[in-house]
Amino acid sequence: MPAETINDLLARAGRDPRAGLRFVDRDERAFHLGWAEIRERALAACGQLQALGAAPGDRVALIFPTGPDFFTAFFGTLLAGAIPVPLYPPLRLGRLGEYLRRTGRMLARVGAAVVLADRRVARLLGESVAEARPPLGCRTLDELPAGRAHPAAVTPADLALVQFSSGTTVDPKPVALSHRAILAQATALNNLWPDSAERKHTGVSWLPLYHDMGLIGCALPVLARDTTLTLLAPEHFVARPALWLRTLSRYRATLSPAPNFAYALCVSRIAESDLAGVDLSSWFTAMNGAEAIAPSVLRAFEERFSPYGLKRGVLTPVYGLSEAALAITFSDLGRPYRTGRFDRERLARQGVAVPAETGREIVAVGRPLPGFALRIADPFGRPLPEGQVGRVWASGPSLMDGYLDDPQATGRVLQNGWLDTGDLGFLDSGELFLTGRAKDVVILRGRNHSPEEIERAVETLPGLRPGSAVAASWLPEEGQGEVLGLFAERRREASAGELAALPEACRTAVLGATGLALDEVVLLAPGTLPRTSSGKLRRGETLRLHLAGALLPPPPATPLRLVRAVARSQLAYARSRIERLWGRADG
Amino acid sequence: MPIASQDEASILSGIAEVVREHLDWRGPVTPEMRLVEDLNLDSIRLLTLAVEVENRFRVLLDEEDEARIETVADLIRAVEAKLAG
Repeated sequence: MPAETINDLLARAGRDPRAGLRFVDRDERAFHLGWAEIRERALAACGQLQALGAAPGDRVALIFPTGPDFFTAFFGTLLAGAIPVPLYPPLRLGRLGEYLRRTGRMLARVGAAVVLADRRVARLLGESVAEARPPLGCRTLDELPAGRAHPAAVTPADLALVQFSSGTTVDPKPVALSHRAILAQATALNNLWPDSAERKHTGVSWLPLYHDMGLIGCALPVLARDTTLTLLAPEHFVARPALWLRTLSRYRATLSPAPNFAYALCVSRIAESDLAGVDLSSWFTAMNGAEAIAPSVLRAFEERFSPYGLKRGVLTPVYGLSEAALAITFSDLGRPYRTGRFDRERLARQGVAVPAETGREIVAVGRPLPGFALRIADPFGRPLPEGQVGRVWASGPSLMDGYLDDPQATGRVLQNGWLDTGDLGFLDSGELFLTGRAKDVVILRGRNHSPEEIERAVETLPGLRPGSAVAASWLPEEGQGEVLGLFAERRREASAGELAALPEACRTAVLGATGLALDEVVLLAPGTLPRTSSGKLRRGETLRLHLAGALLPPPPATPLRLVRAVARSQLAYARSRIERLWGRADG
Repeated sequence: MPIASQDEASILSGIAEVVREHLDWRGPVTPEMRLVEDLNLDSIRLLTLAVEVENRFRVLLDEEDEARIETVADLIRAVEAKLAG
C-alpha cells in the first residue's frame, strides 16, 4: 500500500540504514542522523507531548533553528496526531520587540496549544507567549514530562502542517495543508527525479525549515527516497554563500533549490579563493523559485560557475506558492532555461504578449507538474487564450484545505478546486510567464511581506499625509531582483525642510520597523495616489502607473472638470467591467 | 561608551573590517554608530554582521544579549564579554 500520510512515510523511511539527514555547521563539520534514530527521538517527543496533554488536532508551534531538534519536534507532533506550525526564530541583532509582537500574533492566530522552542529562543519568548497564552505553555524538548508514546491514527484528510504565507502583524495568513496535499506534492517532486544506474539523486538545502521550499520541497520528499539530505542553516548561507556550493560539491549532490536572491548573492559575494577544489558537475537541477526571477541573475550565475562544472540546463525556473503546498510549474529538466522578449507597450497597456526583439525580457517558469493545471483568466474568471495577460489560477492535488479557521478568506481564493494565485501572467507555448501581481504583497528575498506594515512605518512622519502611502515591490528590467518602493503623498503645508528630510526619514523608519531597505522613495503631490470609490488605496494600480511614468498629480478642479468627474463616476461601473484589469491612465 | 582598553580598540577594528568587507559600507565605523539608523543595515545585513563577527572572534552571541545590541559599542561589549567568558 502506498504511503498516505507523512507518518506512514516516516515509519518506512530508512530501509537503507545509511540514509537520513546530515547537518553541516559553519565550520563544515558534518553530523549524520539516520532515519531510525530520527524516528526514535520523534516517538519519545510524541510520548512527552501526550504526557503534557497535547491531543490530536492541537496546533503545536515549533520555533527552532535548522538542526535535529526541529525534526524531533516536527515528527513528534505529527505522531501525536497534532499539527505542527513552524515559525521562524528571531532574526539576528535587534528588533526583538517587533519579532515578539509578530510571533505573539501568529501564535494567537493559530490558537497554538503549546510552543516548542529551542532553548536559546524559549528564553526570549516571554512576551509573545504571554500575549497568546497557549494552554500548555512554552517548552523546550528537555522540559517536557516523561511519557509513553501512543501514536495517533491519522488519515490523509487530517491537517499535517500550517505554514504562514506571509509572517506579518497586519494580516497573518496561516495556510492549512492536509497529509494528502503534502504527499501529493512530495510525490510529484520525487517523480521528477527517478534514480537510475548512473545517477542516484541526493539533495543539499540551506533553506529555512519554516519555509515551504525547505520543508515540503526538501525535507519531506527525502523520506520517500533511500538517500541522505544535507542541511545547512540559512544564516550560515547568507553570511557565507560559498558554504552552499562547497557542500554541494563535497557531497556530489544532484538537487538543490533556492530563490533568485540566493543565486545573485553567490555571484556577488563568493570569492574565487572560497571555491578552491569546488566541482559542481554533479548538480542536476537547481530549482529557482519563491520570488521573481531576474534573467540577468540566471546568466551571471551560469557564467560565473560554469568554470566550476555547472552545466547548462541545471538552472530550472519554477513557480508555486504556499497555498499550493509548493510547486505548480517546473521548467523542462535538463533544458537550458528559457526567456522571452515581449513588446513593452502592448504588454503594459493591453496585456498582450507580442514577441519583440528588444522588448521586456521575462523568464519562463515552466509548465504544470503532472496532475496540475493552469488557467489564465480575466477578472470575471473567463479563460483567456495564450499570449493574453490575466490572473493565474491553478488546480492540482496539493492545494491547501484553506486558510486556517478563515472560511471567508479561503472562499476568496479557492473556488471549485481552483486556486486564485493572485499573480498575473500569460502562457506561451504552454509555458507560464509572470508579469506582475494582482494581490497586495511585497516579495523580497523569497519572503512575503505585507505592504501595510511598511506603510504603517511612515504613518506619522512629519510632512506626509496620513494614510497616503503605498509600498510595492517589482522586478525592474535588468534588475537583480525585486526592489522595494514607497510612494507617499506629502502634506500640502509641508515645509521645504521637511520635504528634503523625508526620503531619508522614510528609509530609516521602514528599516527600523520592518528590517527592509527601501530602494526607491517617491514623494507625490496630495491626491496623486489612485484610490477606489470608497477611498481605499489601489496598490497595484499605483505601481502600474509609476512604471508607465503616469503617476501624476490630479489636475486642478475647475467647474468643467467637476462636471466631467461626475459623468465619469456614472460611467465607472460600465468601464470597470471592461477595463478593470488594465484600466487606462486618466488625464 | 568610551572605548578605553586595547581589547576594545582591536574588537572595534575587527568589526569595522567586517562591516567594510561584507556590508558595502565605505564610511568610518565608530562606537556610537547605530546599526540600523547609521550603518543602514537591513535584516539580512544584520544577520551577516552577527555571523561574520562570530566567525571572526570565534564566539557565539546569545539571542538575549543580541536583543540589547543597538550600536557598534553594544556589539563590542557583547563580543568582549564572550571573549572574557
